[in-house]
Amino acid sequence: MRKRSHAIVIDESRCNGCVACSMACPTRALRVRNNLVRAKWERCIDCGACISACRRDALRPRTSTSADLERFKLRVAIPSLVLYGQFGDNVRPGQILHAFRSIGFDLACDMSWMCEMVAAAIDAYLTDCRGPWPKISMTCPAVLRLIQLEYPSLVSHLIPLDTARELAAKLHRRRIAVERGLDPGEIGLFYISPCTALVDTIESPLGRRTSHLDGVFSIAELYGPLLRAVKSNPEASSDEVVSIRGLRWVLASGEIPGMRNVNSITVKGLRDVVYVLDRIESGTFVGADFINTYICDDGCFSGHLTIAGRYAAQRYLHHVVRQLGDPPPVKESRIRSLLQSHFFDLEYPIEPHTPAVDLKDLREATARQQQKNELCAALPGKDCGACGAPNCETLAGDIVEGQAAFGDCPFVRIGQLTREIVSLKEPPRQG
Amino acid sequence: MDRDDLLYRERFRIKGNDFERGGEVATHVKGLLKGFGLHPEIVRRLSIANFEAEMNVVMYAEEAELELLLFPNLIRVVVTDRGDGIADIDWAMREGNSTATAEMRARGFGAGLGLPNIKRNADEFAIESTLGVGTTLRYAVFTDRPRDAS
Repeated sequence: MRKRSHAIVIDESRCNGCVACSMACPTRALRVRNNLVRAKWERCIDCGACISACRRDALRPRTSTSADLERFKLRVAIPSLVLYGQFGDNVRPGQILHAFRSIGFDLACDMSWMCEMVAAAIDAYLTDCRGPWPKISMTCPAVLRLIQLEYPSLVSHLIPLDTARELAAKLHRRRIAVERGLDPGEIGLFYISPCTALVDTIESPLGRRTSHLDGVFSIAELYGPLLRAVKSNPEASSDEVVSIRGLRWVLASGEIPGMRNVNSITVKGLRDVVYVLDRIESGTFVGADFINTYICDDGCFSGHLTIAGRYAAQRYLHHVVRQLGDPPPVKESRIRSLLQSHFFDLEYPIEPHTPAVDLKDLREATARQQQKNELCAALPGKDCGACGAPNCETLAGDIVEGQAAFGDCPFVRIGQLTREIVSLKEPPRQG
Repeated sequence: MDRDDLLYRERFRIKGNDFERGGEVATHVKGLLKGFGLHPEIVRRLSIANFEAEMNVVMYAEEAELELLLFPNLIRVVVTDRGDGIADIDWAMREGNSTATAEMRARGFGAGLGLPNIKRNADEFAIESTLGVGTTLRYAVFTDRPRDAS
């Protein structure tokens, strides 16, 4: 596997060495050493929990810049559908798409229709596919990375169909190149994202060699300019037809009204995702055929890079859905023929991140675990995080790996110092 | 095979009737085995067996100890419980037979698949039980021969 880049950048000048990020990280990828945050990037799943936890902006998403935009002749925005719920009741999707023309893009394209197609494709896939059950969705890249890292045996449960954002980018590029007489490479496609998890899918795509997208901007960083543009020019682009079923799919976090395979559940938030993945792996999660998983508490609406509160955003989007009415759905026969022609397929399967181990490795790993158990028993078990590791167990692991010292624990250190002081106070022996 | 070459040993306590925490030992052991870098299929099969064994204790016994023993080419688990014991082991080993109460069934247990499921996922399996004393399960998974679970 090639080395991944990462979605999160650390600004050391802003870090004051508090442990908020280290305590918030679900995969225990962050430590504070010498008053600075340090990352074990191989454990990072780009969920963005640290960005939300940091009060000093020392952790930021590595999104695209205006220089990235300028590399292209034609700059196209493809917003996450969550964006449509960010501006209140009276702003329609067409207006938002139009507003991108005032903030440095030449065009913005809707992807709700591709969400509808992917939803239908998943439904058709579930009808025809074989086990292992339950199938797990590919939508949230942070969950995918969590599965690769911590649940490698569940990789075979992933639905091998590409995401709506990649497929939408693929088709938009093809269409725009023909319509405008451009070379496909002259078109820059930028995803407008609610979260950090997507940022790295451009440079390190999952299930394909290269991404169809050229960069990512966050909803948060474009919100101000977009809002001003919408207010100053409420005109809407008329050439964009928004798919109601696509919007509903996002609102229900992937549960499709009218879906044939209704035996599906949506699991949101890291705690619940871990709970369910643990049980699927132990063979005790039976009954559901399809599981939609999202690392954020309320799916993409609670992405760390959104502005509108998740409840308000969902209400606004429901309002849009009510206003737009119910158009006819995409034809199932059309979806099936696209499925058969491999339109939705990944280029190659998602691989688990499991290093091969031999007996020598096993001996070393078990010896390290013994040492770790002994250290855990000797540490205070307060899980205060003051040593820079998020809890005592993680510190014990770091000590065994030679990356921390027993005395990094403040309680241990106080004990050591107290003993030193007592021994100093003892009267010197007569000799 | 050198069975004296014990690489790792740890004991865990399982409390009977503690549905709240039922499954925690199996989950913890699964984390350990993953940390050792064992093949995902080995981890999966052993985790299924451990989970079933743990839930059997939670449902039927007063308490138990789960002992994990790791050798170079096999993982052995011994679950020793203090409880009523099983009156007819042959009956309990047949799929579909269960003495689960309505409450247990309401919680999704008691399909009568527990013991057969352990046996199916293990490469070695033995059960002993004494009425009024308790039950001991011994099972093992070979780590050098990954196979597909049937």
